[in-house]
Amino acid sequence: MAEHRVLGKSVLRQDAVDKVTGAALFVDDIQFGPTLLHAKILRSPHPHARIISIDTAEAAKVPGVKAIVTGRDCRHYIGLYLADRTVYASDKVRFVGEPVAGVAADSIEAANAAVKLIKVAYEPLPGVFDPVSGARGREGLVHETPAAGDLWWQGLSCIKTKSPGALLHENLGEYQCAPFIHPVPGTNISNHFKLRKGDIDRGFAAADVIVENVYTLPHIQHSQIEPHSAVAHVDRAGKVTLWASSQSPNAVRKLIATAFELPMNKIRVITPYVGGGFGGKAGVTCEALVVPLAMRLPGYHVKLTLTREEVFQATFVRQGLVARLKTGADKTGRLVAMEAELFWDGGAYTEYGVNITRSGGYCSSGPYEIPNIKTDSYCVYTNHPVGGPMRGFGMPEIHWGIEQQMDIIAEKLGLDPLAFRRMNALREGSLGAFGGPMEGATLADTIDAVAAKCGWGAPVPPASAPHKVRGRGMACMYKAPSMPPNAQSSAILKLNEDGTVHVLTTAMEIGQGSLTALAQIAAEELGVAVDKVVVTLPDTDYTPYEWQTVASRISYSAGNAVLAAARDAKAQLLAVAAQVLAIPAAELVIEDGQVFPPANPARRLAVSDIAMGYLLPEGAIGGPVIGRGSFIPAGITGLDKDTGQGDKPAAFWTYGTQVADIEVDTRTGEITVLKVTAAYEVGKVINPAMCKGQVQGGIVQGLGSALYEHLVLAEGKPLNSDFVDYKIPAATDTPEMDIILLETSPQADGPFGVKGIAEPTMVPTAPAIANAVYNAVGVRITDLPLSAEKVLAALKKKQARES
Amino acid sequence: MEVFFPRTLAELWPLKAANPESAVMAGGTDLLVRLRKTGERPPAIIALERLAELRRMSIEGGGLRIGAAVTIGELAASEIVRDALPALWQAAAALGSPPVRHGATVGGNMCTASPAGDTLPPLYVYGAAVAVAGAAGCRRLPIGDFILGPGRTSLAPGEIVTDIIVPLPTGGAFSAYYKVGKRRAMAIAVASLAVCIVRTADGAAGKVRLAWGSVGPTVISLPAVEAFLAGKRLAPDVLRQAGAMAAAAVLPIDDVRASAGYRRSLAGNLLLKLAALGDDEQEDGR
Ligand SMILES: Cc1cc2nc3c(=O)[nH]c(=O)nc-3n(C[C@H](O)[C@H](O)[C@H](O)COP(=O)(O)OP(=O)(O)OC[C@H]3O[C@@H](n4cnc5c(N)ncnc54)[C@H](O)[C@@H]3O)c2cc1C
Repeated sequence: MAEHRVLGKSVLRQDAVDKVTGAALFVDDIQFGPTLLHAKILRSPHPHARIISIDTAEAAKVPGVKAIVTGRDCRHYIGLYLADRTVYASDKVRFVGEPVAGVAADSIEAANAAVKLIKVAYEPLPGVFDPVSGARGREGLVHETPAAGDLWWQGLSCIKTKSPGALLHENLGEYQCAPFIHPVPGTNISNHFKLRKGDIDRGFAAADVIVENVYTLPHIQHSQIEPHSAVAHVDRAGKVTLWASSQSPNAVRKLIATAFELPMNKIRVITPYVGGGFGGKAGVTCEALVVPLAMRLPGYHVKLTLTREEVFQATFVRQGLVARLKTGADKTGRLVAMEAELFWDGGAYTEYGVNITRSGGYCSSGPYEIPNIKTDSYCVYTNHPVGGPMRGFGMPEIHWGIEQQMDIIAEKLGLDPLAFRRMNALREGSLGAFGGPMEGATLADTIDAVAAKCGWGAPVPPASAPHKVRGRGMACMYKAPSMPPNAQSSAILKLNEDGTVHVLTTAMEIGQGSLTALAQIAAEELGVAVDKVVVTLPDTDYTPYEWQTVASRISYSAGNAVLAAARDAKAQLLAVAAQVLAIPAAELVIEDGQVFPPANPARRLAVSDIAMGYLLPEGAIGGPVIGRGSFIPAGITGLDKDTGQGDKPAAFWTYGTQVADIEVDTRTGEITVLKVTAAYEVGKVINPAMCKGQVQGGIVQGLGSALYEHLVLAEGKPLNSDFVDYKIPAATDTPEMDIILLETSPQADGPFGVKGIAEPTMVPTAPAIANAVYNAVGVRITDLPLSAEKVLAALKKKQARES
Repeated sequence: MEVFFPRTLAELWPLKAANPESAVMAGGTDLLVRLRKTGERPPAIIALERLAELRRMSIEGGGLRIGAAVTIGELAASEIVRDALPALWQAAAALGSPPVRHGATVGGNMCTASPAGDTLPPLYVYGAAVAVAGAAGCRRLPIGDFILGPGRTSLAPGEIVTDIIVPLPTGGAFSAYYKVGKRRAMAIAVASLAVCIVRTADGAAGKVRLAWGSVGPTVISLPAVEAFLAGKRLAPDVLRQAGAMAAAAVLPIDDVRASAGYRRSLAGNLLLKLAALGDDEQEDGR
């Protein structure tokens, strides 16, 4: 393979200087002058209630108030995979914090004063506060005939619903949805993903060990440093311009076009730097709220920046999950059967969450080959904050249980958990849970790499004090990008007169380094220095289509589009150079901005000489070079509605393994994560420093979800919607990290072999820590987070049992 | 809203008198959070940060006099505090984060009178006194009389805290502060314990002072537990008994941070840290 000049090098991030110096502009920083108005949102205090009336008369009298909108002003249903929500609540509210009315005023104080004066009459309704009751309540019976004794969920601490039977979406059957989403009208189940592989009964009959447990996860929040912000402007011709802190400019445009019946060429979405996304700024969030206000106030700029409390309550959260997993293995350690019932706490609207249920369903085996599988994955409406995408999209959730099951079974069989996983790992050609063959299945490579690096099997060093105990645990993972089978990317690459390059895409820089990664791909292919390439931030009037910056797919998908655009531009440059140099294009190369035949490098042209065409004595040839690239993944097929079986549901799979070394304080229950060793197989590393940065960030975020994070909900009301009581890891919590990046299986259709890495990084951390806690002190905790309180309580219980 | 920056106490009193509804602000790390949360808007704010008289630390008659507007960061950087009042020093180092400690003051921590205030348990075990002044004059009272309940102090309208006077423990005393929060930094105590123990020549505990944070409406002292330990060697079983007494006697509540049960367990278990006095002092000195 040719030596890469730019790829695989830790070049400086394109945004580094801007961000380090504070020069980088985020939406809230943009100055609009005297046309700026401030929006504030009246939000529901009830988890579930009918709206009887809304009276805005008094509010409208507050000096400075310019416009007020309510659900009456926007009745269209929107949603990414299931159109189940309106921009403002129309007839009912379904979660605490749901937008009921919006006010635009010339000061925040006036907007706040007006919000307080809007009178809403509600008729409170009974609510659904856990997904199992939600699915099983009177109207939501999952099973035609509930099996006797099938009450495993009773007594779980997360089962909270007092009066089952509430139905959240009476019109579920009428909502439009993607063809691969299967709502069950008349129930709270907005998607039922079914998977049937092999023969589950025969599978369990062949098992020598069967382990059945319930694993639960609470809602957590992305906790981006930048709160969501949007500014809308409508000009006299009705054109809407939006500045948005969004991961998905094109999805915002599409959903707003639907919500307000606008043609897409009358909506322009501009996204400056975004201060963290993690999924919480995907789809459409607060952008839609300001549009109807701006439509009433042509010429003004209407701005909404959410408070931290609003970010917690009223933007996406990670869905909660109650997972019953039953796993069987024979005495040689082969996994033979697995049954999974997954109840996802989708929250009040599941327009996006329904697809998490699907991903969690078709990946429910974890990264292992299991011949017989029965999975029912239910997306359930509850009166909780809206569940949506968050780093991992179902994978951290299902691996939380799967990876503990693996340790439990291995222990029962007397096998080393690492060897046991390795034996069952998906390999090239193994049949995945969905029945199709796995390609590039490199889990075993990552297991081996981690084992060697951390010295798996060596004795655990002594703890730092007599009342502390050390332990070590591991977890594996796999993840595919969760997206529609035809999620597209495109790119335009323009050459400037001096041979510098602009790459236009609508891929979003959310801190992950996409600007730099895409610049490296363009520079590598085109043969110019990376500092000659600038990748621009999205502006949908000028940058070409990108489905969304989610699913760890940008380096792969937008990378492919940029690669194609660079190839296109390169072909144009070579065609001109061939004519100028009178050497066939096939004999020319471009390196460092110079076009020459390797056989005779002295005969050369600079890219800048031909970027705008070339003037020959007989007249001009070529013209300004513009490369065009489009990408759509090929060969992704659907899954059967009744069996979840198919050939290739996803573009690629990324595999990884983590080992956590921890210490437990037996007096307080506190866990200290000392070290995490991680290996990922990523096909091809574009930028080692950024790639390692992703892994570090994922481990720390995973650690937060493992030890601290829990949005506490009481009858749907968040009790800790701020950073005083919702804790994410701080610098002092950060463990030592040893990271290995492998390139053993370049992705056939990935640019230069690239696979995605962003989300996989956080998937195994929590179960690895849970397994390490068990290893240290012999208590198994199946309910996240592993708070010190839970650990101490479990230790006490164990002591009581033993004495 | 007007904001005043008096430079001397002589300047402060007339401002206070002219603005009876004003709020006093030291570092603002509690006050500003409260104003944002409640929407309260006092007509004026009187800032203490430029009052040199409130920013001094000095040794006076066997005690350390700490100006009310001395910051937590200054306490944590003070060698006198580190060497003579290690429990207070450890508490200062465990409060918030570097930026918070840069603004937060010891007087603010005192006047907020939160049961979770990190400097308070150490000040209880050291037997600190609070100097209060108003236009009419000064008074001095023990910290236990100054703090009346959660968020309640004996400050009269128009009064401020000027100093906190901390008697320096006799040589050979062991003191320490143990805190359990929801994470390692920037976390309010779920439970905490300050200890100050004077050991007798044979290594047993002589005088024992203990104060728990976050396990009751105010900092909790338990004279019965102190009396139980006095005169005994602090062997694990003795400490376990004392821990059981403490766990039964504290008055914690359930809240979003922790259950009352967990706080009780911690109140008892934190005493076990005394088992290996010297060693534990280093290991848990955070
Ligand atoms: C992010 C963050 C983290 C925190 N972490 C911790 C922590 O870990 N542990 C902890 O204990 N606290 C913590 N706090 C709370 C706070 O920082 C402390 O209580 C601090 O000591 C308050 O001091 P201050 O000078 O900022 O008080 P201010 O906010 O200025 O004042 C607090 C109150 O005391 C009054 N006041 C202040 N000084 C005087 C005076 N001299 N005389 C009379 N009245 C006075 C004010 O009027 C006000 O009512 C945290 C706060 C924040 C914002």
